[in-house]
Amino acid sequence: MTEGNAQHPDRDGSPPDQEPATGSGDGSRPWIRADGQAKATGQARYTADLTFPGLAHARLLLAGRAHARITRLDPTRARTLPGVLAILTQADVPDLRYGSFDYVLDRTLFARDVVRFEGEVVAAVAALTPEQAAAAVAAIEVEYEDLPPILDVEGALRPESPLVHPDIDGYAHDPNLDPSGNVAGRSTIVKGDAAAALAGAAVVVRERYVADMAHPVPIEPHSVTADWSGDRVTIYSSTQVPFTARGKTAEVLQIPEHRIRVVVTHLGGGFGGKCDFHFEGHVAALARAARRPVRLVLSRHEEFIAPDKVTHAMVVDLETGVAEDGTILARRSRILLDCGAYASDTPVLGQIAAMMIAGPYRIPDVDIEAISVYTNRTPAGSVRAPTGPQACWAVEQHHDVLATRVGLDPVEFRRRNLVHDGDEGPTRQRHEGDGAIDTLNAAADRIRADGPLGPGEAIGVASGWWFSAPGASGAFVRIESDGSGRIVTGAQENGTGAVMALPILAAEELGMRPEDFAITYQDTDTGPYDGGSSGSQTTFNNGRAVVEAAREVRRQLLELASVQLEASVADLELRDGHAGVVGSPDRRVSIADLASTAHDGALLLARGSGLPPENPEHDASACVGRLGFESFASPTFFCHAVRVHVDPATGIVRTRKVVAATDVGRVLNAPGATGQMTGGVVMALGNATMEGTVFGADGRQRNASLLDYKLLTTADAPEIEVVFVEHPASNGGPRGSKGVGEPPIVPTAAAVANAIASVTGTRVRRLPMTPERVWRAVTTGDDGATEANAPFGPSEAALAAAGIGRR
Amino acid sequence: MTERFAAPTSLEEALAILGRDRAARPVAGGTDLVVASRQGRRPLPESIVAIDRIAELAHHAVADGSLVLGGLTTHAWLAETPEVRSGWTALADASAIVGSPATRGTGTIGGNLMNASPAAETTAPLVVFGANVMLRAIGRGSRIVPVASLATGPGRTSAAPDELLTTVVVPAPDPMSGSAYIRLEYRRAMEIAVVGAAALVTLAGDGTIAAARIALTAVAPTIVRAPEAEIALVGAAADAAAFRAAGAAAAGAASPIDDVRASADYRRAMLAVVVARTVAAAVARARGESIPIPASRWAHGQEV
Amino acid sequence: MPELLQLTVDGLPLSAMVDPGRTLLRVLRDDFGRTGTKEGCDDSECGACMVLVDGLPVNSCSYLALQAAGRAITTVEGLARDETLHPLQRAFLEGGGIQCGFCTPGMLISAAALLARDPDPSEEAIRDGLAGNLCRCTGYQPIVQAVQRAAAEMRAAT
Repeated sequence: MTEGNAQHPDRDGSPPDQEPATGSGDGSRPWIRADGQAKATGQARYTADLTFPGLAHARLLLAGRAHARITRLDPTRARTLPGVLAILTQADVPDLRYGSFDYVLDRTLFARDVVRFEGEVVAAVAALTPEQAAAAVAAIEVEYEDLPPILDVEGALRPESPLVHPDIDGYAHDPNLDPSGNVAGRSTIVKGDAAAALAGAAVVVRERYVADMAHPVPIEPHSVTADWSGDRVTIYSSTQVPFTARGKTAEVLQIPEHRIRVVVTHLGGGFGGKCDFHFEGHVAALARAARRPVRLVLSRHEEFIAPDKVTHAMVVDLETGVAEDGTILARRSRILLDCGAYASDTPVLGQIAAMMIAGPYRIPDVDIEAISVYTNRTPAGSVRAPTGPQACWAVEQHHDVLATRVGLDPVEFRRRNLVHDGDEGPTRQRHEGDGAIDTLNAAADRIRADGPLGPGEAIGVASGWWFSAPGASGAFVRIESDGSGRIVTGAQENGTGAVMALPILAAEELGMRPEDFAITYQDTDTGPYDGGSSGSQTTFNNGRAVVEAAREVRRQLLELASVQLEASVADLELRDGHAGVVGSPDRRVSIADLASTAHDGALLLARGSGLPPENPEHDASACVGRLGFESFASPTFFCHAVRVHVDPATGIVRTRKVVAATDVGRVLNAPGATGQMTGGVVMALGNATMEGTVFGADGRQRNASLLDYKLLTTADAPEIEVVFVEHPASNGGPRGSKGVGEPPIVPTAAAVANAIASVTGTRVRRLPMTPERVWRAVTTGDDGATEANAPFGPSEAALAAAGIGRR
Repeated sequence: MTERFAAPTSLEEALAILGRDRAARPVAGGTDLVVASRQGRRPLPESIVAIDRIAELAHHAVADGSLVLGGLTTHAWLAETPEVRSGWTALADASAIVGSPATRGTGTIGGNLMNASPAAETTAPLVVFGANVMLRAIGRGSRIVPVASLATGPGRTSAAPDELLTTVVVPAPDPMSGSAYIRLEYRRAMEIAVVGAAALVTLAGDGTIAAARIALTAVAPTIVRAPEAEIALVGAAADAAAFRAAGAAAAGAASPIDDVRASADYRRAMLAVVVARTVAAAVARARGESIPIPASRWAHGQEV
Repeated sequence: MPELLQLTVDGLPLSAMVDPGRTLLRVLRDDFGRTGTKEGCDDSECGACMVLVDGLPVNSCSYLALQAAGRAITTVEGLARDETLHPLQRAFLEGGGIQCGFCTPGMLISAAALLARDPDPSEEAIRDGLAGNLCRCTGYQPIVQAVQRAAAEMRAAT
């Protein structure tokens, strides 16, 4: 169904998006994304826009409580209501336990016996109208026996704590993990003997930092529509990971993968919130039972509580020893990650958090432990640079504290300790290039060039690193009979433009223009496997696949041309849409002519995949819980410098300027990469001062709306200066490029934190650094790290009784 | 579920519907009513009377020195009209920070008052200006109610269900006065007041404070006056010490609540800051100094 | 009881029988198939649903459809004239103002409303004019720059 057009399989006969990509990678011509015109005109159809004959509407019954035993669940009466087509519970689907990743198989599609977080799906309804579906959900008879919610990660580790999963010992799990009690996973990054080195250090600083959970908040809420045809189902989903969605739907419904097609028309942002497997299984099962297409669209409130993908609440204990000259000698750390009710991918993210706490610094002795702890909160997972912002926020404040202790300027402290080319990482990987230092210098220079500081202003800096994520990924490239090109890929476009930029890579290989290519993408029936828009991996992996396929097409073109031009392949080049003899401008033939010839014989058609690059050599022999991130492949280095104003009387922080300096290896698409930087910075600034979920003592979210979970508006966003440093990675993505999408969100909050401390003379050790927390730190010295995990204030019921709430 | 809908074009007709259909509720811009229902806080009324086409409610004028506003006067008009900005500056301050441009363009002063939110922006300025509203019902004519006693609790007013707010009358302030409205803003737009304050300050010939009225937003179930702060100001030199004293007096007398937006402690402390800054802005304007509208932006980081 | 709603959407007279509680957004999307206008939240906070009602920006998710009777609605789908993109659409497209595109329809409508009342807005006026439209992708900077470019182009054209 996608055959013959660039993007999406419209069901309603509207013309497909066909605007070709234009522009160059270096920014010398405007880069016009191929999906841009459809998006600018309102023609682009997102999942919730699709309509089908006989479409029915789904609604989920969510638990609405953090921890309870289901004592009665009876949809009999609800099934008799007008318009109701199907109501499903766990009794209606294969009764098996799965893991949304395979680290711990700890969940079922619908709740079985116990609900473990507020947004857990208890039942699902399909009805003729959304109103009828809502009425049926309300009519499902369900009774609970509330259980005490487990909300405190430290308390959950005590032996006497009740368990989120009492049957955990019977759960299947990754062989590198040993889940037990309330611990889903434990990983360490260890090198040398940190305890001994700390004992000999001139200065040792111990601190605790605590981060609250936050949300990805794509502007498009989750949406899924399932449409069966015989024993095959097409699932239109707002997913970032179509192949994962397909695989898990197959697993939970016990259907072979080849009978499931997952299609994403256009995706309205994800930021990790649409990674993983969410509601495709529920809706496919509903559509099968209802015998008609069924659509689910989450409300914004549901979007806050139901998709189990949020950032991790974290408790980070840090202990670092330095010499008198500021040289870091050793670090010890324990990180507790609140993984919420289900493990998802938190265990591996714990390992990443440990690597982030080590950072791109020369530290001879390291002992870092990350523990993923079950609670009755919303399950956390891989939201944009998972654990990175929180870890960087903690450790980069810690570095400023250390700098102060040894009397060094924060920039100088980092200069002395950041890794250079050839230095050793936390598991003895060898670093390539001076990206860490160069980005520090660039960011510090540019922010200082911004003019003198005003009253209440200060500068803060923070450095860091983030990995590229090698993985399997495939693409086809072909030349159509008129000489235009087509890329067919399994890669997923979440808005960043990574898929839209693939033609730049193919065009360069084939001497064509990006606008000569169409792209067929995000359809599991059509494109080869790709890991989805996660881990900043699209250009890194699928870009390599496209280049490989394009090179094979290039070989085919040159072979054809060598016959037509009676020249040796070695003397030929592809340029300006032609194959020609180098140095003989008259002897050339157009790619269109070659394509026409090929369509009478062997087609111009190739595949690209290839082995993902190996991780760098390292020594993880002292580490446990090894899940693949014992070293960071082709790490991106970065430093953000911010100019911040603090109103100490109110605690309100306004960031006035951000310089984001990043070593992305090689810039392949300057406008696209710049857009990632500016967007990441503003998301990070929201995380820095406003975005944090407030939980009630009952374990329910108290600010699950965009009124009380505040994002930055246009009026709040500062000027952002983007600087790229290029140190190509020898084992990186196309032309030595490295991951771009996640890094910009990592260091901004840390830089803001350091600026706040510089203005106020006190440190805020609780994220987000809300006005109230800054004010409290300024007025009482309370840094927030010991603030109760439970929220302040009364319950919602008490609020309602007091009658004060919304405007 | 809403069963009935009417969109009368005359006041008479609207009042008649409100008089005979006890379930009928008026809607003007819809910015509060529909949002409340979509969030599940309050279902839409069984019967809706859309009053946005009633020309008799859409007037606004300065008459005999007073600002006379039809209930349909929008926040955008109040924020942009020169006479409001110069004469009733606190009202312009407040109107300019309501929601987004869309909210300001559709949201009305009548709706804002009758929604009776403790965090409503325009109410505190209207209270310090001593504004009155006219409520009209079929068969009973009009009655005048001070804005200060219109709201009786969150979402509740002293208006009868068949009464419609037709007009807001805002008296002219003293010539030697200045006014301001400031709310504490976590972000610079799309905010809801964590605390807010309006001040109307009149200076004596010697520069001391001759009279002061202060009203507070989001610290009680309704918008309230702050007599303690007013007493602290009257007769005092118009300086930072007096502004702070007024802030402290307001904070000392307030009993704000804890909620998801702020703790009671923080609200009380911020009340002191916001009141001091609001009085400072009002005094500066009374002296003829220029404080930009909205004053909330100016207030960030002020030393007071 | 459903009532007859007649109005103009992007220049086309349309009608439908509409329940009084139904919002303009739902009527546009479900009854008229104008899905260019998006739904991102329930409380007028995100701005994805922004349309012009008689030229003024309105959050169509919190506006009763029947209140739009007889009025002229402009959605993102009505900005382009024939095959020619609106200068704002072109500036967004060329200036990196579009990533995932979900905020784009509302953002364009708010920008069009802003330029209609202020053809030469300062950067601050642009930022305030778009403050009711949340974007999670771009960091706003490319959008603000695109509005500046479009405004200059539109002024030059008049």
